[in-house]
Parts: sequence; C-alpha cells; structure tokens
Amino acid sequence: MSCDWQEKIALFADDELDALARDQAANHLAGCPECTATVAEHLALKQAVRLGANRYSAPPELHASIYRQLHPSTAVSRWWKWGLSGALALLLAVLGLVLWSQRRTDPLLAQLVDQHVIALAAVNPYDVISEDRHTVKPWFQGKLPFTFNLPEVAGTPYKLLGGKLIYAGSTPGAQVVYQAGQHKISVFMLQDTGRSIASPRSSFTVKNWKEGSVRFYLVTDANEAEAGKLATMLQEANRS
Amino acid sequence: MGKQHEEFEGLALPLLDPLYNYARWLCGDADESRDLVQETFAKALKGFSSFQPGTNFRAWMFRILRNTFLTSRVGLERRNTEQEGEDGLDNTPAAHDSPEMLLIRRADTELVQRGLKELDLRFREVLILADLEEMKYQEIADTLGIPIGTVMSRLARARRQLRDSIVQALQGGNRKLVAKR
Repeated sequence: MSCDWQEKIALFADDELDALARDQAANHLAGCPECTATVAEHLALKQAVRLGANRYSAPPELHASIYRQLHPSTAVSRWWKWGLSGALALLLAVLGLVLWSQRRTDPLLAQLVDQHVIALAAVNPYDVISEDRHTVKPWFQGKLPFTFNLPEVAGTPYKLLGGKLIYAGSTPGAQVVYQAGQHKISVFMLQDTGRSIASPRSSFTVKNWKEGSVRFYLVTDANEAEAGKLATMLQEANRS
Repeated sequence: MGKQHEEFEGLALPLLDPLYNYARWLCGDADESRDLVQETFAKALKGFSSFQPGTNFRAWMFRILRNTFLTSRVGLERRNTEQEGEDGLDNTPAAHDSPEMLLIRRADTELVQRGLKELDLRFREVLILADLEEMKYQEIADTLGIPIGTVMSRLARARRQLRDSIVQALQGGNRKLVAKR
C-alpha cells in the first residue's frame, strides 16, 4: 500500500475523524483515485449491511411482557382485582337467578299456561265442541301418536266444554277444557318425554302426572281442591 | 412507581427494538432473543442504581444483553466452537477494482444475510453495532468491553470477510454449483 491514507480510510468512511482530519482526508481523496476507490467500496459495503441485514423488530408480545415487567403493580392492580371479583360475583348471581327462574317455570309448562289463557280469551277456543266425552275423545283419533280416556263427569261439578289440537314442545297434543263453576280447567295431554317437571309456583294451579306414555298437564285458575278432584278422576279413567 | 424506575423506563423502552435486533443477530433464534431481552431488562432494572449517569446508557444495556447471551448455554456453545486468534489479522490490502465493488452493490439481501451469518460472532456483532446500530467506535468498545483498537481491527476483518464472501458467491457461484455435482 503506497498511500499513508489507506489506514485512515475506514475512519473516514465510519465518520470517526474529527473535523480537521476529515477535511484533510477529503482534500486527499480529491487527488487520490486509489483511496477514493477504497472509500467507495467501504461505503458500498456499509450500505449493503445496512440494507441487507434484516433489522428485527421486537414482536408485540415482547413489548407487552416488558411493559408488564416494568409495571408489576399496575398490570393487575388492586382496583382491577376488586372490580373483577365484583363483576364475577354479579355474573354468578345473575346466572343463578336465571337458572332458578328456569327451574321455576319450565318452558313447556309456560307454553301450556299460555295456551290455557289463550283458550279463555279466544272466540273459537275449541276444535271440537261437545259436552259428551264420546264425541271429544274420538275426534283426536289419528291426530295424536297416543290415546287417552276422559272420565264421566255427569253428576260432578265439572262440565266438558270441548277439545283442541295443540302443539307444545314441538309435538302434537290434546287440550281438553272443563268448566268448574266460574273457572275453566285445561287438561293437556302430551307424549311423555321421560322428564319429570317440578310444579311451578304461579297464579295458576298447575299439575302434571304421567299415565302410560302420556303426560297430563292440568292448568286452571280454579283452586287446588277443584283441580285435584278432576285430576284424580282423569287418573282413574286412564288407569282402567 | 419510584423516580428511578420511571427514569429507567424512559431510557430503556426506546432501546427495546435495537436490543431485540442485536439479540437476533447474536443468537439467531426468535424465542431465545425474546428471553434474552426480557432477562436483560430484568437485570438492568435491578442494577440500574449501578449505572453511572452521564455514561452511555445504550452501551450499558447492550453490554448487559451481550454478557447475558455469552453466559447462556447457547452463547457458551457458540464461543467454544469459534477459533481464537485475534491478532493474526489478514493484512492483504482491500481490492479496489471497480468490478468487485459493483458486485458488492449487486449483492442482494439474502447474500448479505448469509455472509453475515457465516461470520464469527465477534466479527458479526461489530458490523451490526457499527453499521446497523450506527454506534461510534467508542460506544462499541464500551459495549464489548474491548479497546478501540480491537474494535477497529475486528471491523476491518469483518468487512473483508463479508466482502470476500459476497464477491465469491457472485463470481464463483456457477462454478461451485458445477463442482458440487
């Protein structure tokens, strides 16, 4: 290497010279093609590294975990903990209430109570209107996947009003309505699903029981005694 | 949060990306780099009281990361596989004919990255610190804990090796392919 400057070329290219030395180097370069070529190669290589070398950026989760590391107390602050446990308690309470109220009113029972109320208010509440059980019962034949018996109500406080085909819980069923004094009593008969249902507390008297493959539901605003007596009669009629 | 803690955060958080980049170039693995950076922050926060205000904080952080790496399992393995011999500097003059420089200019990203990864750790890191992090010689010396003269000689050697690897790949690429067959 003939030129003394060659040793300082790297310093020049890396901008490590002070102002005076830099000016001197620049002056020298203007007249020395050899050194100029070296500087050019040096700068080309620096640029190749700068452009070619991948500059890795920290992934977002690293940013997050470093932040957590620096803020151990604020990451899950006491307020947060209290707030969270409060919200959890509230959630549990709401969930419990929902489950409890579901237990209180089985959706099928609710549907049958609605059906009873509809029958009370409807202009044409029955598909078959008859006081005779031998007219009402046969009307359902072929319409239901099960059969049932109706009790003889002559000489009792009950009067048969009629029957209606209903759909409840996606299955067809029978609604038979009796008059008891000023009250009406709906008796629903649906195929039993093997699910026993707790009788709910509501303003209506609701009873349900199973005879064979049929589940009977009795819905009325009449009192417990009147409903119970008709229920017994229905149970006896279907047992024999 | 204490005043010192706040000060540390203000100084250290902007260095997160550069530290991660350095870690990647040191150990190559993404997961390991993440662990390395996390450990660096933990150590630095704990030892922040020993940092002397007025000295170079970036060099201090980079030094912690580097020492953490070198004492890690991967770092120890890497160091043991590399040959020693700092002083036997290859003093052949840099070729300055324009065809080679043109080749360097033509070098694509993949070629440069491969060349960098082929370098010994101690040569690769000075290049990364000098050209990618744009550190001054003194800062690199502080980071690596070596004299400025060693920084300069390592840089020179690193650049020569990288240049040779690029030139060889572009000039002899076809020949090598044939020879391999």
